[in-house]
Amino acid sequence: MNAGVRLHGVRKTYGDGTVALDDVSLSVPPGRFVSLIGPSGCGKSTLLRLVAGLEAQDHGQVSVHGVSPEDACAAKLIGLVPQTPALLPWLDVLRNVTLPRRMNRRAAARRAEIAGVEARAVLQEPDMLSLLARAGLAEAVHRLPSQLSGGMQQRVAIVRAFGLRPDVLLMDEPFSALDEFTREALQEQLLDLWDELQTTVLFVTHSIQEAVRLSDTVVVMAPDPGRVVDVIDIDLPRPRGQQLLEQGRFHAYEDRVRNALRGAWRVPGAA
Amino acid sequence: MATTLSRSVDSRPTRTQRGVLQRLRISLWMPPLVLISVLALAWQVTAVEMPFLLPPLQDVAATLATELPYYLQNAGITLFESVAGLAIGFVVAFGLAVLTSESAVIRRAVMPVAVVLNVTPLVAIAPALVVAFGFGAAPKLIITALICFFPILINTATGLRSVPQQVLQVYRTVRASRLELLLHVRVPSALPYVFAALRIVFPLSIIGAVVAELSAAGATGGLGTVISTASSMNQLAVVYASIFILALLGVALLGVITLVERRVLRWHRGTTD
Ligand SMILES: Nc1ncnc2c1ncn2[C@@H]1O[C@H](COP(=O)(O)OP(=O)(O)OP(=O)(O)O)[C@@H](O)[C@H]1O
Ligand SMILES: [Mg+2]
Repeated sequence: MNAGVRLHGVRKTYGDGTVALDDVSLSVPPGRFVSLIGPSGCGKSTLLRLVAGLEAQDHGQVSVHGVSPEDACAAKLIGLVPQTPALLPWLDVLRNVTLPRRMNRRAAARRAEIAGVEARAVLQEPDMLSLLARAGLAEAVHRLPSQLSGGMQQRVAIVRAFGLRPDVLLMDEPFSALDEFTREALQEQLLDLWDELQTTVLFVTHSIQEAVRLSDTVVVMAPDPGRVVDVIDIDLPRPRGQQLLEQGRFHAYEDRVRNALRGAWRVPGAA
Repeated sequence: MATTLSRSVDSRPTRTQRGVLQRLRISLWMPPLVLISVLALAWQVTAVEMPFLLPPLQDVAATLATELPYYLQNAGITLFESVAGLAIGFVVAFGLAVLTSESAVIRRAVMPVAVVLNVTPLVAIAPALVVAFGFGAAPKLIITALICFFPILINTATGLRSVPQQVLQVYRTVRASRLELLLHVRVPSALPYVFAALRIVFPLSIIGAVVAELSAAGATGGLGTVISTASSMNQLAVVYASIFILALLGVALLGVITLVERRVLRWHRGTTD
């Protein structure tokens, strides 16, 4: 199967000799929600940047729906939610979320050339408005980013990415700057949107609970050199509401991830 | 914001008093008025004691009143030179800033030359330009454009590259073209920097025009020409009347640019205040 996201034997080093990723292989079937978790510096963001075609690997292959990240981006198959909302301060919420759709207008034609990718109509403005409403931003449609709270700004960034109807959604610690309550509310909204649009998600997080709650699969990574140490499938029913977080089987998965992470901290070669 | 805090403090004026005071804005115009009065008094004393240093203020006012059309006509010439020169400098500097932000090669080529140009006392080039281009408008426009060039170039180039990395990443993953990025992301990001440059450059443009006129006193007129002619004939009142009008011009230009900035950068005020 060539759909979804595939990394094979990927190695990435930086100029100063840092091995950000070493022989990383990962296969994400379409429509899966996959979290990447691991200590700081284990190459999670690097992995996302490779999939987004923002940087090139030294060795190995990266493919999105069977094509290179560059071609996938040219066809607008990929949506990115960075760690900061990265909104344009002079545009109101609606213009912020619609601007990426108005760029690179030849993407639709390129999309049609990629096998296995359905031809999708671009979301029209009413659809964007309802998407904003679904994210609780109906009141804020014509406000500037500086007039929004941090949580609202992050929701705008998520709607901006979903509005592209991406086949792959890349999220780099999108909730890390938010308080606990906002974070849980946003997790729920994210799952809600994901359920409807059924995109493949690569989600970077530092929170074990967040990873287990959101994901079909949790990928545990370790640093020096950056690598994948464990892949844990989360076999829990959806929708995953608040009450699930208190159940034993949820905690069992959290413990498995925690143990895998503990192993990841142990630096190879150290006593 | 201080009103609620100050209510409990007895020595402060009551709320209604404060309201009146605020409406009159005494705290705004009182201090400069006092300072101006003191300066005017010192000026008059000096003018009486040493008439070769400063003209009496009433003489300045008299020449302004009787020959206003003459001053306005020359002010118009200087204003045209400074604004046109600034416009030329702006177009060239903005265009170059865009090129330097798009191409590292061009940036490496342009920046050292621009810096050398900046540390060169451009005012000293004025006589040479007059020799080269004669007494017409050309040398005045060139000097003004040169003086305005560097602040606009540096600020615009900085602004165009001020877009946060993560914003660029979002738009790169949808393969926005360079032109799309420039028009929708880079140029709007640069606007606060451009306006900061304009606020520096508008007063400079008047200096440029006047200096060019001083060193090419002749056919085209302008307040600089008026000053150099009048000072050669010891007409101090005329000199200071011209300087007064030049100062007014500077204030007016600054006011215009501030108004435009308020309109265009409404989004920016919220983020910095
Ligand atoms: N542009 C760069 N130049 C040099 N080294 C880099 C660069 N980007 C990342 N690195 C290095 O590569 C390694 C992996 O970085 P990366 O940002 O992918 O880690 P991360 O897992 O996302 O960490 P965090 O959880 O702190 O975000 C780190 O050692 C980092 O110092
Ligand atoms: Mg990171």
